[in-house]
Amino acid sequence: METLQYILRKLLTGIPLLLGVTFISFLLMVYFGPDKTYELLGKSATPEQIEEVRHQLGYDRPFIARYGQYLKELATMDFGHSDSTGEPVSGLLSRTIPISLALITPGFVLGNLIAVLLALVAAYHRSSWVDRFIMGFSVVGMSISFLIAIIGFQILLSSSYGLNMFPVRGWNMSTVGNYLSYVTVPTLATVFVSLGYNTRFYRAVIVEEMTRDHVRTARAFGIPPARIFYKNILKNSMIPIITRVIFSIPLVVISGSLLIESYFGIPGVGKVTFDAITTGDQPVLKAVVGLTAVLFVLAQLLTDILYRAVDPRVTLK
Amino acid sequence: MNPDQAPLLRVRDLVVEFSTEVGVARAIDGISFDIYPNETVGLVGESGCGKTVTGLSILGLIPSPPGKIVRGSIELMGKDLTAIPEKELRDIRGGDISMIFQEPMTALNPVFTIGNQMVDVLTQHRNLTRKQAHSVAIEMLDKVGIPAPGQRILEYPHQLSGGMRQRVMIAMALSCGPKLLVADEPTTALDVTTQAQVLEQIRLLQDEFQMAVILVTHDLGVVAETCDRGIVMYCGSIVESAGIEDLFNHPCHPYTEGLLQSIPRLREKPVDRLPIIPGRVPDLFHLPSGCRFADRCSKVTDRCRQEAPVLQQLTGSTAVSCFNPVA
Amino acid sequence: MNAPAASALPARREGLWSKALHKFSRDRAGLISLVIVLLYTIVALGVWAGLWATEWADVTGTKWMPVSSEYWFGTNLIGQDIFQRTLYSTRTAFEVGLVVAVLATAVGALLGAVAGFFSGSWIDEIALWLMGVLDSIPFYLFVAAIAFALQDNPYAMHVAMISTFWTTVARLVRGEVIKLKSLEYVEAAHAIGVPEITIIFRHILPNTFHILLVQGTITFVAAIKSEVILSFLGLGVKDGMSWGLMIAESTLEVMAGFFNNFLAASVFLFVLVMAFNMFSDALQDALDPKKV
Ligand SMILES: Nc1ncnc2c1ncn2[C@@H]1O[C@H](COP(=O)(O)OP(=O)(O)O)[C@@H](O)[C@H]1O
Ligand SMILES: [Mg+2]
Repeated sequence: METLQYILRKLLTGIPLLLGVTFISFLLMVYFGPDKTYELLGKSATPEQIEEVRHQLGYDRPFIARYGQYLKELATMDFGHSDSTGEPVSGLLSRTIPISLALITPGFVLGNLIAVLLALVAAYHRSSWVDRFIMGFSVVGMSISFLIAIIGFQILLSSSYGLNMFPVRGWNMSTVGNYLSYVTVPTLATVFVSLGYNTRFYRAVIVEEMTRDHVRTARAFGIPPARIFYKNILKNSMIPIITRVIFSIPLVVISGSLLIESYFGIPGVGKVTFDAITTGDQPVLKAVVGLTAVLFVLAQLLTDILYRAVDPRVTLK
Repeated sequence: MNPDQAPLLRVRDLVVEFSTEVGVARAIDGISFDIYPNETVGLVGESGCGKTVTGLSILGLIPSPPGKIVRGSIELMGKDLTAIPEKELRDIRGGDISMIFQEPMTALNPVFTIGNQMVDVLTQHRNLTRKQAHSVAIEMLDKVGIPAPGQRILEYPHQLSGGMRQRVMIAMALSCGPKLLVADEPTTALDVTTQAQVLEQIRLLQDEFQMAVILVTHDLGVVAETCDRGIVMYCGSIVESAGIEDLFNHPCHPYTEGLLQSIPRLREKPVDRLPIIPGRVPDLFHLPSGCRFADRCSKVTDRCRQEAPVLQQLTGSTAVSCFNPVA
Repeated sequence: MNAPAASALPARREGLWSKALHKFSRDRAGLISLVIVLLYTIVALGVWAGLWATEWADVTGTKWMPVSSEYWFGTNLIGQDIFQRTLYSTRTAFEVGLVVAVLATAVGALLGAVAGFFSGSWIDEIALWLMGVLDSIPFYLFVAAIAFALQDNPYAMHVAMISTFWTTVARLVRGEVIKLKSLEYVEAAHAIGVPEITIIFRHILPNTFHILLVQGTITFVAAIKSEVILSFLGLGVKDGMSWGLMIAESTLEVMAGFFNNFLAASVFLFVLVMAFNMFSDALQDALDPKKV
């Protein structure tokens, strides 16, 4: 009961964020956004026709009413139909989001997991050559553009100039084998690029925890290294690590998959978003922006709940 | 001090260096001292003179890199702690020798209960189940004067005050029956009333547990009240070591004399301001070749600037490293 | 009135900067990276002054000419000189990087300082809310949205990057200002009635300069990398040349086994970003007061 109340209260505090995100995107994309009238009617429309279409599109309604309409759509999760394909937006999203998740998840998980491991090794051998090697590697990773990594891996693994082992582009999840063959190259590119930033961040976190006073206390009382590592270092590092992982989820799902999906021609939500951007498909864009903001509010809630599991200093207030 | 007894701890010619980007800093420069069973020795000196580093060296806890014991030996009952494997050293830490630190606020792990942390230490050094260790821990908390220990033991460090946390540290330090307790400025971070209580607690428990205590402090008043003997450090070396009476009544090193004059005390005539020792501590990268105190000393001679004095036994309990000791 | 501030402040800052200079001058990786960054700067300035890469848009050769003394990097699909296009793109990258880094850092410093100075008040609440909102809008969508709103203005990309990148700077400056605010000299200035504006600009912001410098270099790198991807996607540079556009061109060529365009753009981009990252690291090390 107490927890439920807490969750509700947290969700309420997410409302200003939702309002802010939707307001700014609405202002930019819809209110100041492209005018579809002439696209639908052609140049030689009569004033009556123009009036008629503008009325249908809702352009003649006051700002507040149009924004209110958007909020209502967000609340009911009903964003109408895509301008370009006529498909219901909710159907479009529920068809494409699973594809994006299947595409992104392996790279995201591996990119964080391997980074934590590398960071632990580097932090443990702090300022030795192992550390310097790992950190040098991560600066190189940070300096390679995602785009170049994608193309590079494609040339190396999917073209006749390289190993030619994987499909060049496209998507197929009908069997596990197919899934693996299509997901490998995007995953490698994602891991390669995210490893640099993640390793650096996690190493900094772990080194900070390693130099805390309570680690020295534990050592002064003869606690063995393995236990110190688990109880003093890892458990305390979890707070910043969890935060980073969870808060990168909403953006990774949309922005991370946008480049990969449009490059490899994978029909996920990133590709849908990219197409909507280039064609000015407002119903889709409104849905994507609104849902990302909702994801952020949920991420915030999730981190709060996890903090409580990890850190006794955090209580439900 | 009982000279018939063998010393518990013998430190000989200990040198500790830190390598930093700017150069090598010699934090401890060839110190030697003995600690006898059951005595309380005050280790005093200005901040940065190497007191903490001395304490950490005894437990082999110098952070490395950048620190390193370059030379010297630290013998506990005849066993050289600088030469034994890490695993053996772990049995001694928290077992035969315990150390408590200056900052009680950050010295405990915030994400585990104090009970959990005490039980870890107890099961590490004594052959107890976690359940047994839990009751021992409650007993220890009771001994150090924590009310309702059965409840407190389930709390997290952030739920306790600084004084309470330091008591928890003391309970943890004594729980495995150490022969030596190194208390590194245990009361500096606490308010004055709590300070007195915590010191009193350490003194009571010392009697009960029969252990030696090295009390690190920059407060000579604390030394006068609690210690049998005092060791005065300046800039990485020992300048004077003496029984408490001699140290306060006949300070032999000009630095000790200066320190004593700078303590406020009830005087017959009020003075305008306390005398202070003029000058600055030399930095550890550019130590003078002669006596380190030369630049601030009122009795300095040419010899002091060329040659470094060594610690020499005078009459009584006093040893001093000075060519012109205060008579 | 400046007495307490003037005496406490310059000594501390001078120490920080002269120490940093000393440390930086002994950091070999930092010095090498600085030299590389300076070389790029010269290339960019030369393009800007019309000294070289003036024929980047002209079709001077034929399709896919190999590397030669005339065409150092060969020619592209329609016979343009890849070397000149690569150099010209350096200017584009610098222009985007500088504009975005300078303005985002300035906006972040200003809003961060104000938020930090008034921390706990409604001003701070609003600033934090705004940062949270901007951080929650997907970047590519935001760029597109601003491009819509600015009706395909060539600076839409710059505006979008500045609007998103300032939040990181602002958060850091805000944190630092909250720390600085409680320092003696600031409280003293407050107590003797120095106006808040003066306190912020004269006493607080100058003390966050080391953070701004480091964040500026980080933002520069982020802007260059984003420019390449946005241009590749058709959301960035529209007229002109950029490494991103070269890579976009090259995707057709790569499938046919002609890698010059792709390699030229990738290597130039990689070396610049790598050098800047290393420079930024060296700067951070040098300015870190915790390290001796
Ligand atoms: N981790 C470290 N890195 C570099 N130098 C250190 C370190 N710890 C201590 N030192 C050096 O050792 C000297 C003595 O420090 P310390 O023993 O902490 O002094 P105190 O007497 O105040 O306890 C310091 O002046 C410092 O130069
Ligand atoms: Mg100390």
